[in-house]
Amino acid sequence: MKAGRADRIATIVFWSIGLVSMAILAFIILEIFGRGLVTAVSPSFFAGQPATNQAGGGVGPMIVSSLYLAALTMLISLPVSIGAAIYMAEYAREGKFNNFIRFCLDSLATLPSIVFGIFGLTLFVVTFKWSYCLLAGAFTLALLNLPILLRGAEESIKQVPQTYREASMSLGANRWITIKKVVLPSAMPGVITGTVLPIGRIMGEAAAVIYTTGLFIRAIPLSPFDPAAPLAGYIWYAQTEATVPDYRQIVNGGAAILLILVFLINFSARRFARFYAKRKQLEVKL
Amino acid sequence: MARERYIKLLLMACASLSFLAILLIFIFILRESMPALTKVGFGNLFTSTDWNPDKGSFGILAFLNGTILTTLGGLIIGAPLGVGTAIFLDQVAPKKMATVIRRGIELLAGIPSVVIGWFGLIILVPFIARITNSSGYGIAAASVVLAVMVLPTITALSVETLRSLPIELKEASLAMGATRWQSIRTVLLPAAREGILVAVILGMGRAIGETMAVQMVIGNSRQFTLSLFKPTATLTSRLVTDMGEAPPGVFRSSLFAMALVLLIFAMLLIFSVRMITRKRKA
Repeated sequence: MKAGRADRIATIVFWSIGLVSMAILAFIILEIFGRGLVTAVSPSFFAGQPATNQAGGGVGPMIVSSLYLAALTMLISLPVSIGAAIYMAEYAREGKFNNFIRFCLDSLATLPSIVFGIFGLTLFVVTFKWSYCLLAGAFTLALLNLPILLRGAEESIKQVPQTYREASMSLGANRWITIKKVVLPSAMPGVITGTVLPIGRIMGEAAAVIYTTGLFIRAIPLSPFDPAAPLAGYIWYAQTEATVPDYRQIVNGGAAILLILVFLINFSARRFARFYAKRKQLEVKL
Repeated sequence: MARERYIKLLLMACASLSFLAILLIFIFILRESMPALTKVGFGNLFTSTDWNPDKGSFGILAFLNGTILTTLGGLIIGAPLGVGTAIFLDQVAPKKMATVIRRGIELLAGIPSVVIGWFGLIILVPFIARITNSSGYGIAAASVVLAVMVLPTITALSVETLRSLPIELKEASLAMGATRWQSIRTVLLPAAREGILVAVILGMGRAIGETMAVQMVIGNSRQFTLSLFKPTATLTSRLVTDMGEAPPGVFRSSLFAMALVLLIFAMLLIFSVRMITRKRKA
């Protein structure tokens, strides 16, 4: 049986490919945690101030920068992308305009993040004279995240059953009232779930932030116009410039913290999605 | 009624923002790269491998070469792995295991590029250095790192395509007595061809644009090389290294010219994806 043997070989090959993919993931996670976890969990590191010339610096202000930047970015991009998603899902008809907007969104999604970075540098930092600050980074990342957020929101809105809209319209509500009172409330949990994962991406982004928020700070940023140094950018900076003698330890610890943050976000996104799915099942039963 | 019209306009403005963003990015980058395009000249910029800003040479061919070779390398390793993983998930793996692996791939997609770059720098580069007796930096190291980064993109999109195929396709082929491999090879893969091609093209987009991870393992030298184990640079890695130090003038402007090339690449990729999907619909 030639076909049988080929089938067995193919099965073995596919199993190996699947296991190799998992092995890569496991290897990366184990190495990063193995090297950095001890540093990452020590309070003098995750809450400490960075040092400039001697060893023993921490990354406290960098973690604050990452969280602050993520919050600001969401504040800017969420309303806009939900608005755009409503338009694309509820108002726009299939046609030239719609097609063109999708082309723009796809191009935006494929554009390298460093290109966003130097665009943010020219527009916000230089032309608007904001200099390096959180807000410049947040606007830059808002553009970068627009396609992903929009797609998530649009899909949730499209999942709202058509009968909901029909019921509302038949009660005499116009389109906007229907969207505001019926469609958005039932789409909202899905929309929120769709925004959690992009937060992880914002936290991991380095190329787009180093030329917009800045690379190194010692004080915790308070105002959106303060310079900042998100963790991902700082890891890159510490590794490339190596201004402190213990930079390896700092990068190891910082990479472990970054992984923990991203995994936490990933995990909560999934919990949220599951919770939402359960609630939806309940609704259908009722 | 008037209010409803305003709201519609406002929402439409939100949707048009993506166009405005692309347009602004294009205009700004074109404007900033004008000095380089006019003073260095189109030909010199793209055909010279001599990059020496202090002496006034601004040829980006070496980095264009780096981008193309690392992207190809990343796809040669990453595409079979990604498509293979997708087939494994959709056709071969037990259901529970497929769920676990799918989550693992999602996790892999979420790992920040600086973390993967750092991993490459401390594990991969020394390993390559030992087996090839070189510095370890170069196109080979960057290709492996890029393969890891395109893997989740290609896997996720290929799984989506395979899942969207009608189940009858597979059932019919198995009912005719085909083995699993025969039905994958002769029925499923041909039916999923366009979708898989799109997955690989979008993976290519990620590879071309990847900056930090590549910058950390490619060695950042300005030499043109076809060798896999010699330090060189890509458009993105050069851009991120030099942007901080480039004074305003032709030097800075030629960095923007690199960004312009990247932007054109991105739009060409999306354009080709559109052509492929339109053909499928027709």
